[in-house]
Amino acid sequence: MPASRQFRFVALLVFPALLPSVASAQVPCAPPESMKARFAGTPDISALNDLGVWFGDQKNYSCAANAFATSLQMDPKQKDMPHVAFMFGASLYLAGDIKEAIAAMQEAETFGYRDIKLHLVLAEALDSTHASADAESEWRAALEIDPEYSDALDNLSNDLIADNNLQGVIDLLDTPRLAPQRTVQQCINLSLAYAREGKLSESARVLRDGVNTYPDSFPLAEKLADVLTQLGEREEATKVLEVAHARQAVRHAGVEVH
Amino acid sequence: MLSRLLWKGLYPALTVVALGLLVSSLPSGNHGRFTATLSAQAFAATGEPPVLTPISIDYPEDGSIFPPGITPPTFLWRDASGTSWSIDIAFADDSAPIHAASKGERMQLGPIDPDCIADSNSPPKLNPQQAATWTWKPDAATWASIQAHSAGKPATVTITGYRDGQVAYSQSHIAFTTSMDEVGAPIFYRDVPLMPASGNGGAVAPLAQNNIHLIHWRVRDIRKPESHTVLKDMPTCANCHSFSADGKTFGMDIDGPANDKGLYAVVPVQKHMVIQSKDMVHWNTDGKVGTVRVGFMSQVSPNGLYVLSTFAGPALSRMIDSYYVTNFMDYRFLQVFFPTRGILEYYNRATGLREPLPGADDPKYVQTDGVWSPDGKYIVFARAEARDPRPPGQPHATHANDPNEAQIQYNLYRIPFNGGKGGTPEPVKGASQNGMSNNFPKISPDGKWIVFVQCKNGQLMRPDSQLYIIPAGGGTPRRLRANTRLMNSWHSWSPNGRWLVFSSKARSPYTQMYLTHIDESGNSSPAILIDNATASNRAVNLPEFVNIDPDGIDQIEVHVADGTGVASGGK
Repeated sequence: MPASRQFRFVALLVFPALLPSVASAQVPCAPPESMKARFAGTPDISALNDLGVWFGDQKNYSCAANAFATSLQMDPKQKDMPHVAFMFGASLYLAGDIKEAIAAMQEAETFGYRDIKLHLVLAEALDSTHASADAESEWRAALEIDPEYSDALDNLSNDLIADNNLQGVIDLLDTPRLAPQRTVQQCINLSLAYAREGKLSESARVLRDGVNTYPDSFPLAEKLADVLTQLGEREEATKVLEVAHARQAVRHAGVEVH
Repeated sequence: MLSRLLWKGLYPALTVVALGLLVSSLPSGNHGRFTATLSAQAFAATGEPPVLTPISIDYPEDGSIFPPGITPPTFLWRDASGTSWSIDIAFADDSAPIHAASKGERMQLGPIDPDCIADSNSPPKLNPQQAATWTWKPDAATWASIQAHSAGKPATVTITGYRDGQVAYSQSHIAFTTSMDEVGAPIFYRDVPLMPASGNGGAVAPLAQNNIHLIHWRVRDIRKPESHTVLKDMPTCANCHSFSADGKTFGMDIDGPANDKGLYAVVPVQKHMVIQSKDMVHWNTDGKVGTVRVGFMSQVSPNGLYVLSTFAGPALSRMIDSYYVTNFMDYRFLQVFFPTRGILEYYNRATGLREPLPGADDPKYVQTDGVWSPDGKYIVFARAEARDPRPPGQPHATHANDPNEAQIQYNLYRIPFNGGKGGTPEPVKGASQNGMSNNFPKISPDGKWIVFVQCKNGQLMRPDSQLYIIPAGGGTPRRLRANTRLMNSWHSWSPNGRWLVFSSKARSPYTQMYLTHIDESGNSSPAILIDNATASNRAVNLPEFVNIDPDGIDQIEVHVADGTGVASGGK
């Protein structure tokens, strides 16, 4: 690993006195009883990485980040360094340190870590900082690996809508592969893209299909009624709303809906 | 919430929305009364028949053509409005329409094979569309009547949704026809588990060695409700199969003793087939045509005298230098496998010799997927510039269609067989030099058409694969109407040339097989599912029509002389 890369990880260490902290039972990041033997002396990186995973399982992400950072500091050239760097970044993200999390995960990416989870977490982190262009490329990287991943499709289409990239939304979502599994959000985004492009019939087509897939989604029914009214199909619009309200009433009454 | 923000300001305030808001602001007990009034007013104002909201009819698709005698299909639709439905089928032959009522049954998954459950796969599940789907399946007598009255003339299916039992709210129509063309032959296919396994050192295999016995070979008569297993419990791996056009000869890659992949079985087709060591072609071992003896996509000639296959050729000594192979733990698309180098060779069953086919033996190219014309006079094959499957420094692909796969785009070529003398290969216009990978050609039995696969890269198990048809001499390619949303490949013509069977992941990652009708002009109809071809967590692959009676193969026994046992199937 080049010195600059090593420095990157050292600079990311957000918790003081790492090695003593993980070895001592007196601090919050102490290892659990089951792992204490591995921390009797100077722990090896495998123990630290296992500890990071353990803290992650306990939802103690600060301590998880602490452990992974220590591991990376001890052996920046370790075999699974890109993966550990990702775990470090993901832990930081879950601990709320978004900025450093992004940097760490981008490091992992630079070092060739290729896993859909990296792209998903990094994209979400980038979106939370409104770095939408970078987030978009991460969502796309996730979709390269799994083109049907719903969260990525939801979020990428949200970003594209926010950027007013309407054709991008259409290209993304109006593919035969995705049609049977579009989420409510995807139906809304796709129909919105068509509507903004002035293609109201296409918008209605998407929404009709969406309403028939998600009959209990009031937002979809509402959007469909909007578009149908724009198209002059008021009777159908009325009927769509009527059914949506009836279904809502049944749901509110606690009766099972077909 | 986000969606509401996104939508905000797009449209002006609308009457309907205002009505909707008014309705939603009413106490819930008043909704029904109010909406009924609203609805009645809306209809009264127009003086027209009430507008019905559209039902999404997903299967059969409008314009479908069913083969005569196929078992009853399950009609599938989605409808937000109806709580019960009527199905009315009207016929063009003026016979009485058929009426059925349905309270709607949800779409169901078929039975699971418990032996094929693994950590590396997921049980099949309904996608959102399927989960919202209602179904109706006519009983056998009703379906027989429907088929009789829709033979050659369209039947129109109207599905109407009702609320409160009486009031029609929704409706859609589709039309389908029953073909006058019989399928006329059974389909032989491989039935496989999708359970990739990670071995020592992290190497991924499409199937663990100890699960190879789970692969079955089955035969399906589409007039029967289920398939017949003819071979299972194989102790060794077997791959591509091929039948001669006359249905008299069967060939199959079978890994023999000591996992010898240089073997091929060729036997006469019989009701009870037995493959023994004497039936194994050893792809001669003298090294004259190369030391790599692994054949790929072998095809028995129409008269059964030859077997055409792809081999590495004399220039290569290792199989890994001629194939790009990567396996993934994602069971949905668990393998990428295609040749990047290789030549066409033919095996002469009379002489026992394997020879390169001149014109398709140029080591500058990879030449593969060779198929015979029905008269055996020419061969169509896929060709691309040869390349190293794994150049140094090339990152490993992690999923199907990863840009890090070896990139190769095949073009279809045609060459005379000429008694084994070959000739000059000519590109097939419409299936070459189009920036896509054109592969897996299949020539229609009348020699008129080629149906081939087009995808972005490589071949076999490509998520984006689509079927195209062109005149056999080349021409404008047409995308088959039958293409489904996900993976369309492994097609095979029926002996009468009117039906094509192919496999697809349209409904499930666990591949299923479908039929499409091909008319005189090469037009294809929407895909017809062959129901119940395997368990819902197993995959159908390599379906192939066999030119025999539907019950022409009952059992195949494989006696492999490697001490690992005897494979057999059937009764």
